[in-house]
Amino acid sequence: MTATTQARPPAPSPVLAFLKQPLVVALALIVALLLLGEALSPGFASAQQILRLLIVAALLGIVAAGQNLVILGGREGIDLSVGGVISLSAIIAGNVMNGADSGILPAIVACIIAGGLIGLFNGLGVTLLRIPPLVMTLGMLGVLQGLLVVVRNGIPSGLAAPGLSQFVTRPFLLGLPGIIWLWVAIGLLMAFMLTRTVYGHRIYAIGSNEQAAYMAGVPVKAVRISLFMLSGVFAAIAGICLLGYSGSSFANVGEQYMLPSIIAVVFGGTPLAGGKGGYTGTMAGALLLVILQGILTTVHIDESGRQMVFGATLLLLMLFYGRGRAMRG
Amino acid sequence: MSKIELRGVSKAYGATLALRRGDLSIDAGEVHVLIGSNGSGKSTLCKILAGSVRPDGGEILIDGKPVTITGPRSARDHGIGIFYQELSLAGHRTVSENICLSDMPVTRAGFVDRDALEARAARYVALFASVAGDGFSADTTVENLRADQRQLVEIMKALATEAPVIIFDEPTSALDRAQVDRFFEILRDLKAEGRSIIFISHRMDEIFAIGDRVTVIRDGETVGTERIADTNPAAVIRLMVGTQDELAPTNGAPHATAVARTFVLTLQNLSGKGFANVSFEVAKGEILGFGGLHGQGQSSVLRAIFGVNPVASGEIVLGGKTYAASNPREAIRRGLAYVSGDRGRDGVISGRPILENVTPIHYLRQKLRLARPAALADRVRPALEALHTKFGGLGHPINSLSGGNQQKIVIARWLIDRPDVLLLDDPTKGIDLSAKTDLFALIRKLAAEGMGIVLYSSEDAELLNNADRILVFNGGSVRRELTGADRTRYNLYQAAYEAA
Ligand SMILES: Nc1ncnc2c1ncn2[C@@H]1O[C@H](COP(=O)(O)OP(=O)(O)OP(=O)(O)O)[C@@H](O)[C@H]1O
Ligand SMILES: [Mg+2]
Repeated sequence: MTATTQARPPAPSPVLAFLKQPLVVALALIVALLLLGEALSPGFASAQQILRLLIVAALLGIVAAGQNLVILGGREGIDLSVGGVISLSAIIAGNVMNGADSGILPAIVACIIAGGLIGLFNGLGVTLLRIPPLVMTLGMLGVLQGLLVVVRNGIPSGLAAPGLSQFVTRPFLLGLPGIIWLWVAIGLLMAFMLTRTVYGHRIYAIGSNEQAAYMAGVPVKAVRISLFMLSGVFAAIAGICLLGYSGSSFANVGEQYMLPSIIAVVFGGTPLAGGKGGYTGTMAGALLLVILQGILTTVHIDESGRQMVFGATLLLLMLFYGRGRAMRG
Repeated sequence: MSKIELRGVSKAYGATLALRRGDLSIDAGEVHVLIGSNGSGKSTLCKILAGSVRPDGGEILIDGKPVTITGPRSARDHGIGIFYQELSLAGHRTVSENICLSDMPVTRAGFVDRDALEARAARYVALFASVAGDGFSADTTVENLRADQRQLVEIMKALATEAPVIIFDEPTSALDRAQVDRFFEILRDLKAEGRSIIFISHRMDEIFAIGDRVTVIRDGETVGTERIADTNPAAVIRLMVGTQDELAPTNGAPHATAVARTFVLTLQNLSGKGFANVSFEVAKGEILGFGGLHGQGQSSVLRAIFGVNPVASGEIVLGGKTYAASNPREAIRRGLAYVSGDRGRDGVISGRPILENVTPIHYLRQKLRLARPAALADRVRPALEALHTKFGGLGHPINSLSGGNQQKIVIARWLIDRPDVLLLDDPTKGIDLSAKTDLFALIRKLAAEGMGIVLYSSEDAELLNNADRILVFNGGSVRRELTGADRTRYNLYQAAYEAA
């Protein structure tokens, strides 16, 4: 009970601490993986190829932004429904615009509303009905998958408007397509929101100690619901972009983004328990995963093999962070 | 010769001297009562005897022979059984299994002998059959039982040891009248068999109903043993108080007459879970103290006012307007602040910077959307300095600070936008002396500036030294109000230990 009155010095070695930062680790790995890819298959790290990787990373990164927020909010926050939202959004967008630029804006509005609504349901289920997020969003994913089957039988898959395709694939500024800039903008916005707004501080507060946040007047439920809504909206935006990337929507395009979106977040330094971390790391995590995926494709590992590698990566990460926590604690 | 004797037994937890000097002798066939205020070391003494805590020094003699109790098993071998205050039940197991937990009957093959187990447990369950209440049977899972029923199971478990010495550390705190009566009948039977009982309770009537002798323990020291027949509650309380009463009260500042006072908070017959019919008013500039033993409703009342716990009936008037507490957010907007003593649970936003730990109330009350670090730092620094908080930088995580400084951060959170009424729920739990001194200096300053303050403290000295008036809680309601020269430790204890 004799509490020392001095603040303990933070970390012993700043260099070591810097090198151990998840962000630094991720960036080093990105370079290493690019070099490995180039070694395995010359041309892997060509400008063309890197641009393609960046576009896919942006798609994943946008989904992961929402995933990141939900996870930051704690209480086992996770959004497994993002895959379903992406697919649904791609279909809605494809049908609303149906190849015409004039349809882009209405499509965006429709998709964002749909994504937001799905997120709202997730949030309500988690907060008011106290369903664990894993169960709630998995259930929602099931519902969306069923819905997609029904919808697909009734209406065509739809076509991307040329403007949208250009936005995703054609260079727009400094040789980079619009979607990269959108991702950068989202990155800046997220960083600002998380560090410089009251809302951002509240997200960390409920993620770190929900009871204390509640006692300090944070509207815990409203914040948590809003996080799921944002996740739905981000997934919807990713769905639209994905449509632009592939030209037309096809079955369950979104599914393959679910697991990577979680891995990107965890790899970026946001623990699944929430309350700490941020989006910058997640962006690096998304890049890394996409490169890894590229390498796996280069060495002819198919989709199921890739999923296995991703699952194993997630487990490894959990082990890594888990041990780190035990050593610090 | 005594059945059991303790000589100068001591135990420290880190820097806390839980037991300084425990001297105790228990005869065969007696119920020996231990009494002392919260934290005086009763449980520590019991745990030493039961082998779950190793003493730092002293001697234990059983039947006149010195023994070393190395663990729970060894305590059993020496003939000591115990009822643990915090219970020692396995929630997922049945009542029967729990009763036999410490000594499972096994078949020759080494499996649990279910039949023998059921038969043995049934004997103890039968003892309380008439008073155990609904939903209680030998095969109920313990986690489905009420608090009183769990306590009965722990009693049965202690009885099932059939030990010559059985320790009961607050076995009656959740029991009703009939259950206590039945328990006492059983204790008398044990006594008649020549067994020794150590019995702890904070209820004076129980102590005088069942005890043969009473030993008073104060600040970790056994200060006297009396025959129950030769003493009375007042004398016991005087022993508990010791000479410390002359030190208090020190805060004799007489407050203005009722006419001149403006009330910032009034409660009328407020009832809810854990408290009933609580009425009081707090004037501007007044420090109203809540006293009494732990868990007599003090925290529950404060949490109800703050909107955390529901209110069943009664009225709260805040700043002249009736107020229905629905959640902390609403309470904060209405000018209330609540500092919890459980900072880990209710206060510290761990892993986050100090700045973010101070600002939540400020955001809410100022309806802020943006968090500008520079502007916030200008508000936060003076608040932390007023409490003499030691910290490296506002960006450092709160976990990098010592417990006392963490609590100061949490307190600063509530004071940065000045509330009208400050509710303090045992705010100094586990913080060091200098932090306490700083805190109370600030509290008095705030009161002098017109804030209304309600202070619940589990440390009697804090209450006696700082509160203008003290409401003594006992069994969920206000038993007595102590004002002026009545604010003595003796009066505090008397009201706290009085039978409900
Ligand atoms: N495991 C522990 N670690 C640190 N301190 C402890 C521990 N157990 C008890 N203490 C401290 O030792 C002191 C004596 O505690 P003890 O539990 O013996 O009191 P008690 O007389 O049984 O009180 P109560 O009437 O509240 O049950 C208290 O200050 C308490 O905070
Ligand atoms: Mg105790």
